[in-house]
This record gives sequence, C-alpha cells and structure tokens, in this order.
Amino acid sequence: MNHRMFVPLAVAAVLISGTALAHHGRGLIYDAKKETTVKGTVTEFLWRNPHVEITVAAADTKATPRQWLIEASSAGVLTTHGWTKRSIKPGDVVTVTFHPAMNGAATGDLMKVVFADGRELPR
Amino acid sequence: MRQELRIALVGLFGVVTGLSACSPRPVAPAAPQHPDLSGVWLGTGKSSWSNARAKLGEEPDIPYTAWARERMKGVVSGSGGDSDFENATDPALKYADPLGFPRQYQHPVKFKIVQTDDHVYQLWEWNKVWRQIPLNKPLSDDPDITWYGESVGKWEGDTLIVDSVGFKDSTWLDGVGHPHSEQLHVIERIRRVDAETLRIDFTFEDPVAYTRPWTAQHAFKAVHDDNMGETITTMSDELRYRERFLNQKPPIAIRR
Repeated sequence: MNHRMFVPLAVAAVLISGTALAHHGRGLIYDAKKETTVKGTVTEFLWRNPHVEITVAAADTKATPRQWLIEASSAGVLTTHGWTKRSIKPGDVVTVTFHPAMNGAATGDLMKVVFADGRELPR
Repeated sequence: MRQELRIALVGLFGVVTGLSACSPRPVAPAAPQHPDLSGVWLGTGKSSWSNARAKLGEEPDIPYTAWARERMKGVVSGSGGDSDFENATDPALKYADPLGFPRQYQHPVKFKIVQTDDHVYQLWEWNKVWRQIPLNKPLSDDPDITWYGESVGKWEGDTLIVDSVGFKDSTWLDGVGHPHSEQLHVIERIRRVDAETLRIDFTFEDPVAYTRPWTAQHAFKAVHDDNMGETITTMSDELRYRERFLNQKPPIAIRR
C-alpha cells in the first residue's frame, strides 16, 4: 500500500468508531427514554449491514410531512428474529415505533413495526 | 470330468470360506462416543465477563494486578452501561480490529460447531471468523501471537476442554475493556446441558493482568434452521451509515 492510499484509510479507520458493534452504544444518538410512533408509507427498505434501514413517509406531530429514516439491527441479527429481505416493501402502510434522535433529526432506532393488518415485526 | 472338477472347486471354496469364518480377525476398536455439540448456536449479547454490576475496575470478582489497572486508564467502552459512542477507545471500534478471543463469543450472532473425530471447528457468521481446535494434541512450545490464538481440545466425559494461548494483547478480553497480556491462557469447558443449550465455563489465567485465575460463563441456544448468513460490515458500509444517519462527511470516497 502506498502512502497516498494509506493516509486516507488510516484517517477513515480512526474516524470509524466502529463496526456494527459500535452501534450498541447509541445512547448519545437516540433518546432511549423516549418513544415516537408514526404511521405512514414505506418508501425504501434496505436489507444491509451494519443496520437494516426503513424509510417511512409520515407526518410529524405538527402535521409536517417528513421522510423518517429508521435503523433496525443488522441483517444477521434480524434473520434470527424472523425477518427476511422481503419482510417490508415500498408501498407498505406501517406504524413504526422508535427511539427518536437526540438532535431532532428525522431518524430513529427501531422498536417495532406494525402492518395495517396487525402483523408485527419485533425489533 | 469337467463336472467332477466343478464339484471339487465348489467344495474347496466352501471349506476355505468356512475356515475363514472361524479364524480370528482383527476387530477395529469402537470409536469413543462423545456428546454431539454440532449445530448452530446463538447467545445473547454480552459486554462484560464479570458477573458483578459494577464499573470497570470496581468488580469484586476480578483480581486485577497493578499492570491491569494501569492498562485500563483512559479506557472508554463503546458498549455496556458506561459506553460513549463518540469517544470509544475500543480497538475493535476505533480501528475496526478483529474482536479477538474470547470476546468473539459476546457478539449476538450465530456460530456453527462442526465436530469430527480429531477436530472441532467453530464458524461464526460475524465477519466469517473461524476457529480450529485439534483434539488430543499438545499446544505448540512457542505459539505465534495472533488475534484468535492457538487452541487444542480434549474430551473429559461429556465436556470438551479447550486450552487456548498466544493472543495479541491489543485486543480486549470483553466489550467493556478488561485487558489481557500475551500470557493469557483461556480454558473453556464446553458442555451441552440439554438438547437446546450449550454452556461454556471460562477460566482466565493471566499472571500479568490478574493475580489469580478467575471465571465466567456464557450460554447459547440451538438454532434449528441451520442457515448461516453473511454478516460482514466493511469500512464503506460504516462510512455510508455515518453519512446517512449522523451526517458525517466521509474522509474517503465510499463504495456504494
């Protein structure tokens, strides 16, 4: 590896505070003492690591439309909970409950997903 | 004449076969029957090997040496009760180092045990780590120092005893930051306590870091789908996550 490659990689390695493991310590990102629930339509579902991502179009408490970017656990862990890459698809109407971001961003740490027919996906 | 010869040959064959059946034959010894540990196993996440709910360094069940206490100064965990995501000094987080051993067991992802007469293999989903445990072999006189060490095993009744040495001292013993030296010796007693449960009792010996051996336990439940997925997180995955969720600008171009 030449120096030109090494420097950005080393910087990246230091900045990365982590693999998926780091994400266990998300206490400074999401407020674990709060729960937010929104009902809306899934616009994107990404089955990937370090975290599966669900984007939901739903209004916030002020009736402002927002795109909520919600992270779940890793694909490997969710598989053991019964999830698959087809568990959710764009267009699904869902009610998602999550720990909201501390900084007010439209992001969250998933607690549960409930479909229109009452089916529930655990965290 | 031809008919007589045929009868004679058939008779001779019968005599030879009969004698052969009566003569003593070497019989292969029956293979020893060992418990079947094979299958896919999953444990709950664990951050510390201590059973005490106490801060790092204050656990009554861990006999620290002065070396260990010095080593723990400045440690900031990225998991567990006192974690600080932004300022973690965990080498597995800060530098994306391998978890190392025995910390590998603490991450809540599946691993498979493959058991043969002379080896036991462990195959983890997490970053596709594997471990080979030869049975009834001595440890090397001068083992290489590696992320996952060198291991040998033997059966004692229903328990597989595994001795492991040769660990890089840059890894943490667990997720909260208990240290170890290159003299760490891990003894595992692995037992299937029932059809659904695998229990491992650990003994940690490290005269540099701990004044006496100390113990820990972990249990794993059987997973019956037998599927092993790929749970790999790359630097690009992580940088993309941080860009998307934390609004952090990536220092290098991300592979999408």
